[in-house]
Amino acid sequence: MQLFLQQIVEGVASGAIYASLALALVLIYRATRVVNFAQGEMATLSVYIAWQINQWGVPFWLSLGIVAALSFVMGALTFRLMIRPVLGASDHTMVVICIGFFVGFEAICLWFWGADPRAFPRIFPDYAWTVGGVRLTANNLGILVTLCTLTAALSALFRFTRLGLAMRASAAEREKSPLVGIPVETMLMFGWGLAATVGFVAAVLIAPSLFLSPPMMVSVVIYALAAATLGGWDSPAGAIVGGLVVGVAESLCATFVGFIGNELKVGVPFALMAVILLARPQGLFGTTAVIRV
Amino acid sequence: MREVGTEQVLRGAGALIIALALLLVPLVFPNFLVYQFSLVLTYAIVILGLNLLMGFNGQISVAHGVFFAIGGYTTAIFITRYGMNYLATLPFAAAMSALLGFVVGVPALRWQGLPLAFITFGLAVLVPPVALKLEPITKGATGISMPKPTAPAWFPGNQDTFIYFLCLVGVALCVLIAWRLTRGDTGRSLRATRDNGLIAESLGVNLTKVRLAAFTTSAGFAGFGGGLFAIVNAYVSPESFQMTKSFDFLVGAIVGGITSISGAFVGALFIVFLPDWSADMNIALSGLIYGGVMVAMMLVARDGVVGLLGTLSRALIARLSAARESRSFKTDDRPAGRQFQT
Repeated sequence: MQLFLQQIVEGVASGAIYASLALALVLIYRATRVVNFAQGEMATLSVYIAWQINQWGVPFWLSLGIVAALSFVMGALTFRLMIRPVLGASDHTMVVICIGFFVGFEAICLWFWGADPRAFPRIFPDYAWTVGGVRLTANNLGILVTLCTLTAALSALFRFTRLGLAMRASAAEREKSPLVGIPVETMLMFGWGLAATVGFVAAVLIAPSLFLSPPMMVSVVIYALAAATLGGWDSPAGAIVGGLVVGVAESLCATFVGFIGNELKVGVPFALMAVILLARPQGLFGTTAVIRV
Repeated sequence: MREVGTEQVLRGAGALIIALALLLVPLVFPNFLVYQFSLVLTYAIVILGLNLLMGFNGQISVAHGVFFAIGGYTTAIFITRYGMNYLATLPFAAAMSALLGFVVGVPALRWQGLPLAFITFGLAVLVPPVALKLEPITKGATGISMPKPTAPAWFPGNQDTFIYFLCLVGVALCVLIAWRLTRGDTGRSLRATRDNGLIAESLGVNLTKVRLAAFTTSAGFAGFGGGLFAIVNAYVSPESFQMTKSFDFLVGAIVGGITSISGAFVGALFIVFLPDWSADMNIALSGLIYGGVMVAMMLVARDGVVGLLGTLSRALIARLSAARESRSFKTDDRPAGRQFQT
């Protein structure tokens, strides 16, 4: 029972990280109907830059702040230069472009920093409490708190600010929004930038335990894809729930299902994704798309 | 109708040149390169399958490395474990992959578009861990090595040349099948399903059957290519079937042009020789070029190199004939599906 609870705690912690990356994916999908397979790779590049700046002597927290802003610019530029020209093209085209980003961003990391994994400092202190035999680490709690803060900040942005309203409008009605004076393309660019920053946060949270290496986020992207699919692609709340479910399921399966173990645990999100796509393609919290014939 | 006639002549000439060039490879190049060209042929088969699926039928797959791996392992296991003749294993390699293609293809009927991309992406990531996990069968990280086929006495070349010609026969077979499939009624229903499923269905095309058949056949091609790869390489391991392999095939298909048969060869040449050439400078360079090429191709030339050549030659023919008829007004010589996007 203790092991079971412990695994749930661990699962929630890693699930929170998947949830934040899934949140980034959903942000982009809602705005531009693009599923950015390369979100994780872009985030890896950001983390590398943060690491580098830190190595140059800039204080750790300051370097995180700088790179959060840089990630925003990177996401916005990626959209402006490479997605905007083909906006509205087929899924097919978008998938190929995003796989191109995936390969390209990973290659950039490899180019500058090589394949050797590097240690990335933990943000949260090494501290742990034991509650009823279950170990709670400050790191796990910190990750959860970060996710909650991130979610609250994003929902507040979308719910209470004019900017958020304009972003929602641009995502919902790309053709009609300009009529009421919303600069749609700027909003979409903003959406991509925001997603890149959220992805960066996810990568910073996971980098200490995975070690910083160019393919660090490859499997995390699968978890995030599964989380977003589970929650429904147009639902940020769904992405969070989906992320937590995927995290817990992974952790439990890896521990209690002998065949899966540590090597095959990347199969868990895959299986979840396949099941949900068959049973409820729009996801738990998603809305069904209405197709006009 | 003169344009069409000229175009067909051009196309025929192109195919003939490629065929001749492929035949001349062992005479011109040293042994090591002949091995590389054999790899080109095996990859070309996989890309051909991918083109059938993506280009002609409009279904996305970023997981052809998976089917390739199934084919490779099938051949390797049948040769080493059951002592089968290497040629006899190839139909099994194709069949095993086609079977998996069918298994993925059935739910894929519901997953057209993005979901299919997620699922195939997930499959691509899953291959190496599964191959490691199934150690009793796949020998895990050690991999399976097998003897290369030896050239029979009547064959006038060495072993590598012999293997090259084996691959050439395999490719010829696949090109014939692909050529047959993309023409006539079959080709029309494939393309109609891609362009507008609803209209295709109302015209009597059985979408389920066409999509499933396309997925199965495409996977079969990839498995056949994988089997040949195992024979050429004489060794398979999870290392040969990393996720990046799936992306390589995708890059190859995109570069060559996903709606062409000859594009498969252009793409295969690209993915075999570019990494070799660029690794001397920087190991990251090929990835950078792959990524750049995928994005750039989508932005400027969605029909790949072959599509680009086609557009150029059509424009040239149009200009020539226009000059001849001293009539400069041409209505529409853009290929279909390249409308201006806002």
